[in-house]
Amino acid sequence: MGYLFATQEQMDRLVDYKDAREFHLKKDRRKRDKRMSLSDAIGQFVQDGDIFAETGFSYVRSPIQAYFEMVRQKKKNLIGIGSPMSNCSYFMAFDMLAGIHLSYIGVEMRGNDKNFARAIKTKKSELLSIWSHGTMALGFKAAQLGAPFIASKQLLGTDMLTKNPYVKVIDSPVGTDNSPVALIPALFPDVCIIHVQQADRYGNAVIEGPALNDIALSAACRKVIITAERIVPEMTIRNNSSAVIPFWYVDAVVDLPYGALPGCCPGHYYWSREWWEWLIRNATPTEENIKAYFDHWVFSTKDQYEFIDKLGGIRFIDTVRKQMQAAQYTIDDSLVSFDYQEVIPKWD
Amino acid sequence: MSNVAPANPLEMLAYNLSRLITDGEIVYVGTGLPMVGGMLAKKTHAKNITMVYESGGQDPLEGDMPWSVGCPFTFRKSPMSMEMSLSFGQCAIGYVDIAFQGGAQIDMYGNVNTSVIGSYENLKSILPGSGGGNDIGSLTEQSVLVGLQTPDRFPERVDFITTPGYLQGGDSRAKAGLLGGPTAVVTQVGVYDFDPVSKRMRIKALNPGMTVEIAQACTGFELLVPDKLEFVEPPSDEVLTILRNDVDPRRVFTKMPGT
Repeated sequence: MGYLFATQEQMDRLVDYKDAREFHLKKDRRKRDKRMSLSDAIGQFVQDGDIFAETGFSYVRSPIQAYFEMVRQKKKNLIGIGSPMSNCSYFMAFDMLAGIHLSYIGVEMRGNDKNFARAIKTKKSELLSIWSHGTMALGFKAAQLGAPFIASKQLLGTDMLTKNPYVKVIDSPVGTDNSPVALIPALFPDVCIIHVQQADRYGNAVIEGPALNDIALSAACRKVIITAERIVPEMTIRNNSSAVIPFWYVDAVVDLPYGALPGCCPGHYYWSREWWEWLIRNATPTEENIKAYFDHWVFSTKDQYEFIDKLGGIRFIDTVRKQMQAAQYTIDDSLVSFDYQEVIPKWD
Repeated sequence: MSNVAPANPLEMLAYNLSRLITDGEIVYVGTGLPMVGGMLAKKTHAKNITMVYESGGQDPLEGDMPWSVGCPFTFRKSPMSMEMSLSFGQCAIGYVDIAFQGGAQIDMYGNVNTSVIGSYENLKSILPGSGGGNDIGSLTEQSVLVGLQTPDRFPERVDFITTPGYLQGGDSRAKAGLLGGPTAVVTQVGVYDFDPVSKRMRIKALNPGMTVEIAQACTGFELLVPDKLEFVEPPSDEVLTILRNDVDPRRVFTKMPGT
């Protein structure tokens, strides 16, 4: 089967257990200071042609400021994967993705993502395989477990199987129930960036709140970049025995406060709902609009602080810090308002 | 005469969803009206339910209406959160009783399409993808489908089966090796279930003012009609007041468009 842009080698690499093992075996696993700038980390470890895995929950503890740096560096021919993977929307708009392994791209109730629809319709990018959140999560988990595949009861009987060359259905050869099972292969993307609340300089990383697939992905991916709200002393992590990602999985550590904006980061800040509603409803409908949106937010900012200035500076930060604390009920939530004006374009 | 305005169609939908939840259950919640229905159940007849979310939040404290299934309100003071693979795993191992999901198309056997209108080879429009839909619909003991009912959205066959209902009907779901299955469909018209043998969608109860003819006119296939037609008892003033004041006070999901 031929693909528009992706190569068979890229398709095979995703499930190449031995290749991932060889790659991990050759990694420099010495405990060393891996701190570097965001642009160096992206420049060195996210390479054109990589299978790139999204982390977090699209706009919850996702390394979005690092994604913006990928856009600025104009990465090319990436293969997108992730569960979910809504930031692939603008990667597609900027021609960074040769193809995607789709679980879900969108912002839930805010409408369909038209960057994604346009890129697939005009064949600027391609759907290489389709998955559910749970089966893709099982593929990453299988990789972490060292299991070549996991047998699941998902996807069975559906048309999803016709658009997924990786998953095979067999009658279960084990146990007391020999009904069909779907074999989900272990998935080994090339690289992921994981935004965490705390990491030490070596890469031991702590996640507060839902980890989604990030613990599994840190083991599965050949290369891992950690961006952190705070770099803490190693002893802080040792005292709490709180790391969920060990330093030897990690290639680079970036000190990146506010690195999940315009998404939210548990323990730190709530999101800008308006930013996402503008993106999905006003910016994605046309190429001109998405380019203008990114000219404003990404190409004319050099880092997260300039981005925050455009969001409203210290007033914005103060508001979203209080909103997150109220949402997590660490401050009196009656003092904080979640009222806001939904972004509804005139043509809707 | 009551001074509480009668339920609008979205409120009626949320109310019908809430009535499907039994006290004591563990409920898998998605964004939108299912969240409203779950919260309404918890504040009325089902105070001892536990809500869990695919993004990992488990048993959060009540708070503001979540903006997304990943919203901090879905893990507000949660005793723990789960990785995504484990959160779905709970549906398979029998710790989740009921789950809700919507879709662009729902067909006569309860199959759901959230992938593509037309086909991938001949695209009319492309949809966001399965997300957790397939997982919930493949694994959960009772899954409840939620949608606005129109002939386009309720075709005889969906263009693409993203989430399995009863597949081609009869015993085809069981033969495919799937667990659980859809037990109800809730729309602005009323509540449906599935014939136990053919697995075709059947009217269970219509909302006040609705008729079989209206239900059929909103559907792209022939609905089964029970021998004795039932109507939903409208929500009491007390329930409506809880829905409006405590569950969705800012009318995020229950405000009728254009009002």
